[in-house]
Amino acid sequence: MKIRRGSGEESGKVDIQMAPMIDVVFQLLIFFMLTLKIVAPEGDFNINMPIGSAAAASDEPPPLDIKVRLLANPDGTLGQVVFGNRPLGNDVPACFDRLNLEIVGLVGSGGGFADDMSVEIDADYNLHYAYTIKAISACTGRIDPVTQQPVRYIEKIKLAPPRRPGEE
Amino acid sequence: MRIKRAGSSVVEADMTPMIDMTFQLIAFFMIVTNFEQTQADERVKLPADQLARPPLVPREDELVLNIGFIRNAQGEKVDPDPFVFLGDENVRVLDYGPYLKQERQVAELKHGDGAHKNMTVVIRADSEVPTGLVQELIKLAQEAGFEKFAFKAKSDEEPG
Repeated sequence: MKIRRGSGEESGKVDIQMAPMIDVVFQLLIFFMLTLKIVAPEGDFNINMPIGSAAAASDEPPPLDIKVRLLANPDGTLGQVVFGNRPLGNDVPACFDRLNLEIVGLVGSGGGFADDMSVEIDADYNLHYAYTIKAISACTGRIDPVTQQPVRYIEKIKLAPPRRPGEE
Repeated sequence: MRIKRAGSSVVEADMTPMIDMTFQLIAFFMIVTNFEQTQADERVKLPADQLARPPLVPREDELVLNIGFIRNAQGEKVDPDPFVFLGDENVRVLDYGPYLKQERQVAELKHGDGAHKNMTVVIRADSEVPTGLVQELIKLAQEAGFEKFAFKAKSDEEPG
């Protein structure tokens, strides 16, 4: 038997109203597009700052201190990097690469991590902070050119007391 | 003459792929959008270094200090001295001692005595801030009882 489709059956199909949903979806899309702000990732360096002479009270032998002196020009740019008593120049970034090589030489060519060493960075008062960060980075380690992963050398980085102008 | 209605003349567009794409885009923007309340200040132009990596374990307690210069629309310094940005207030670095003592009190009230010792003072300083002033700020923080310090840097250094 042939069943004929009646007009009542056709009206039973419910049509979903898509227009409001699409409106809302586009509103959401525009909201997220406008609020999107790509922020550069930030990293950090831990700094040890012993208070006064409190560190001397410990029974442990004091770690071997490597001294890095950062001299500044009057305008705050880098004047000279001095590793121990050896000047390493002021040609950024090559001078910091040389500092990094010196640290590698001390830590060991095997790229080992030196737990018993610490670096003291003694910067001029007016030296721009960016150079201090470069020096801290050069002492901390390097990026392995093959794996692009950081290789850490020395974690114990401290800053010398500030050299106020006129106090030297 | 009677005209017959042509019922099938309306072509319905298939909306499904478009809706799928739109939802994909929404999901993408939702993931990328950073709703986290960071204490970063846009006025601070951080130095960049490849070795600066975010800590593997996020710190529980930190006090972020933003130090930078007040600049005009052209990016020139309005004042040669840097300031610590504290909301809408700008405090000269050497005058920040009382605020640090206040922070210590707040930390102790919130988490109990000695809580400030576990708190890391995170310094976000502008590239051109004199290192001496950063050291002075660390000294003031030490006087207020803080012991842990970290320096922030952008980790996406451009080569060269």
